[in-house]
Amino acid sequence: MRIIIDGVSCESAPGEFVKTVADRNNISIPSLCHHSALPGLAACRLCVVEVTPSGGKTQVVTSCVYPASDGLEVSTKSERILRLRKTILKLLISRAPKAEGRLKEYCEQYGVVDSFKPADFDESCILCGLCVKACDELGNSAIATVMRGIQKQVQTAFDEAPHECIGCASCAKVCPTGKIIWSQDDGSRTIWNKCFELVRCSCCGKPFATSEELTWLTNKSIDQNIDLSLCPTCRARKTAKAAISPVR
Amino acid sequence: MCGESTALMQSIEGLVGEPRAKYIRSVERGLWGQPTVLNNVETLANVPYIIANGSEPFAAIGTDTSKGTKVFSLVGKVKRSGLVEVPMGTTLRSLVYDIGGGIADKRPFKAVQTGGPSGGCLPESLLDLSVDFESLLEHDSMVGSGGMIVMDDRSCMVEVAHYYVDFLCGESCGKCTPCREGLRHMREILANICKGHGKLSDLQDLEDLAFTLQEASLCALGKTAANPVLSTLRYFRDEYEAHINDKYCPAGICQALSVMQIEQEDCTSCGLCYKACPIGALKQTVTEDTDGPTYHIDAETCTVCGSCREACRFDAVVAKRREKTCA
Ligand SMILES: Cc1cc2nc3c(=O)[nH]c(=O)nc-3n(C[C@H](O)[C@H](O)[C@H](O)COP(=O)(O)O)c2cc1C
Ligand code: SF4
Ligand code: SF4
Ligand code: FES
Repeated sequence: MRIIIDGVSCESAPGEFVKTVADRNNISIPSLCHHSALPGLAACRLCVVEVTPSGGKTQVVTSCVYPASDGLEVSTKSERILRLRKTILKLLISRAPKAEGRLKEYCEQYGVVDSFKPADFDESCILCGLCVKACDELGNSAIATVMRGIQKQVQTAFDEAPHECIGCASCAKVCPTGKIIWSQDDGSRTIWNKCFELVRCSCCGKPFATSEELTWLTNKSIDQNIDLSLCPTCRARKTAKAAISPVR
Repeated sequence: MCGESTALMQSIEGLVGEPRAKYIRSVERGLWGQPTVLNNVETLANVPYIIANGSEPFAAIGTDTSKGTKVFSLVGKVKRSGLVEVPMGTTLRSLVYDIGGGIADKRPFKAVQTGGPSGGCLPESLLDLSVDFESLLEHDSMVGSGGMIVMDDRSCMVEVAHYYVDFLCGESCGKCTPCREGLRHMREILANICKGHGKLSDLQDLEDLAFTLQEASLCALGKTAANPVLSTLRYFRDEYEAHINDKYCPAGICQALSVMQIEQEDCTSCGLCYKACPIGALKQTVTEDTDGPTYHIDAETCTVCGSCREACRFDAVVAKRREKTCA
């Protein structure tokens, strides 16, 4: 099955998201709330495109969740789309002038220079929802959005150090704006106001994970042969050695 | 917010009440990922009639594309308000004048808002419009939840737009950018115009935001939330311009731009305004040489709530331009 993106015919599986197909064909569509491992949020609305299903009407959709169908025509840069993207970027940068990363780059790319009146709160969060989704998918749900509308925020329960948090920092790693601050020194990691002791690798001695993370992995791990006392580097070395040893 | 079908399903699942994208319909994948039928009570209430009488009698009522009847909540400045069921395709005029009995207190009709908080405000020139899904959509409004609020000449359309946008700010779930952020800026811009601090370029910003809400919001709340703004900009633009260019609120509603005054020659000294004022801004003077007491409004105390103007039976209380706008 094929779909046409900006005039380019692209191979696609039925139901595959339009953005995934575009990414594979190096057609860039800006996005802030899409992560290939955490699809389905459709919150930032930056990835809007115009689609015309064969025999159907043209409409504006978000490409990160819109399923491809045979013969679908997609326009990622029409005048309408550019106008929408600019306003969305302007809204986001007005909300989160301190956001790091892609948002600033997109603003430059789309020539968004002015902003609306900045929010009266000090923000870098654009409420993309990725952090919450990452934590939910891991099964921990230590953070959630609270309140609604403009008051909406990502928070831990009662704004306290979360009991459920295992200190994996997945939330911080998926955050597109650098909002979630975490720190790590030789023996400990701090995130969401919770301090974790780090476990040292039984081989190289480097601190590499919180014990809560390791317990979580032990409970979830399907492959019982994984040696969780080793850091990822030493574990990889050990696996590689095991793989080549029979040859010798 | 959680009346929106996908947000409702999220809530039932115990998740945060936020909508999901609907490119895959609920009948395919809905509650707990299973095929789900979710309908409005009003939709279901139409089903027994169709089962009992067949689809043809039902489809014979209404227009070519909007079938059956619809219940409206006819309220506001009409003589008779209440829930009314009419065939689709009934005109606004028939609803307001034949059923509602016309405008209360002999005032002129100004606008009717259809479809609930995110419906549009339609002017007198559209009174003969057929009330059906398509006609209302074409005119920046909708059938929506069947709200029908009738307004007289004492409604300021800029203030009305601000009121609904403010309401919708509180309703927005905050998941998607256009609705969460767009509504906030719309509210700010509209509040500024009501205070007399608006600029003509604000109207362009409002149109831009409205377009983005309509086209790029995730759910129907955001997609329709621009209607109050778009419709008032389309049909009552002169009122926006009066607020911006002349610092004048023609309806005498916006506090920063208006003052209430008593025209002494029309006043009969009945004192109704005096009783109506909730904060004692009306002052009574009794003198020997007039028939009854004379009344005047203390501009310092007055909040321009309009209670005295509503109470007066002789149109002696009038709103005037406030000469210096408050800082
Ligand atoms: C933002 C939003 C809020 C809604 N709130 C309500 C509500 O409070 N009560 C209700 O009966 N329907 C509400 N609805 C409408 C229902 O979601 C809708 O009628 C239903 O999901 C679909 O059924 P229908 O196709 O029979 O109309 C709302 C819709 C939206 C978009
Ligand atoms: S903290 Fe980061 S990941 Fe979480 S919602 Fe905000 S911007 Fe997105
Ligand atoms: S349009 Fe508004 S209510 Fe709907 S998902 Fe977006 S923020 Fe939530
Ligand atoms: S990337 Fe598609 S809506 Fe955010």
